[in-house]
Amino acid sequence: MVSDVNLKEIQRRVYLTFFQDGLWDIFLGLFILGWGLSILTGAVYLPGIIFMGIYFAIWGVKKRLTYPRIGYVRFSAANRRKVTTRFVVAGTVVLLLGVMAALLWGIGRRPQWLADYFPLIFNGMLAAIVCFVAYWARVNRFYLYAMLIFLGAVFYLWLGIPWGFGFIGAGSIIALIGLGILIGFLRKYPKVVEEPYGEDRQ
Amino acid sequence: MRTDNNGERLQEPIAKIDKVIHEPSRYTLMAYLNVVEVADFLFLIRQTGMTWGNLSAHLSRLEAAGYVVIEKEFLGKKPHTVVRLTDEGRNAFQEYRGNMKKLLDSLPAR
Repeated sequence: MVSDVNLKEIQRRVYLTFFQDGLWDIFLGLFILGWGLSILTGAVYLPGIIFMGIYFAIWGVKKRLTYPRIGYVRFSAANRRKVTTRFVVAGTVVLLLGVMAALLWGIGRRPQWLADYFPLIFNGMLAAIVCFVAYWARVNRFYLYAMLIFLGAVFYLWLGIPWGFGFIGAGSIIALIGLGILIGFLRKYPKVVEEPYGEDRQ
Repeated sequence: MRTDNNGERLQEPIAKIDKVIHEPSRYTLMAYLNVVEVADFLFLIRQTGMTWGNLSAHLSRLEAAGYVVIEKEFLGKKPHTVVRLTDEGRNAFQEYRGNMKKLLDSLPAR
């Protein structure tokens, strides 16, 4: 039915507004960059610090930059629960795979193929999560980001480029694309001062 | 008579169509508010392309019908106006869509 299609389209448009400012792209880019630095320097805590730091900073930046330009919207509690559940399920699957790999590694009975192709599996899991976000939010450029992340492992295994550099390269490209989107967004949408409504009107 | 029967068949669903929602701008507003919990004025303006005056007029109409509530909320320290669909509005919107479907289905095929 036509009205069903329209409602789905409206829902898609509303989802897209969350990604319109490029801030989530910058977040992802810096997070991936953090992984690269972590691999190169051995600072295992770095991705976690970057993840927490930027995640909370983004909401502050959104309040100052995004909402005064394109407005504020909040989904229903049921919808938010649905989205959270999807991410918890995806996160749990990745965590279980990680724990399984770590256990195999720890007991020294890891199969040779796991040792050989671990970067491919790790980058593949990260790319799968990014693909999940792309599919869920219908933001097609995130598929490109997933490919960039996966290519890091391919370059490492077949071209000998250090694994960490693949992350740094992919993260830098993603963050720069995000920055470009943010600049375009700020130019396209100037700040708007809300006009009074009802009793507030003079 | 055939024409009268067709007329009678069409009149009932037409009479059930909610005139408040049956206006493209208000339908669009209701559709947006149906997929979210709350949205502020600026968000609705950016999405629908309406002017502030136009939006205020249509929201007043929907508010008078009891379909939306307009509230003040704080985003950080700044107050801003948000719009929310009431339960009555949500039901009216679903009913409107159902009635429109019935109406379109009842039209004779060419």
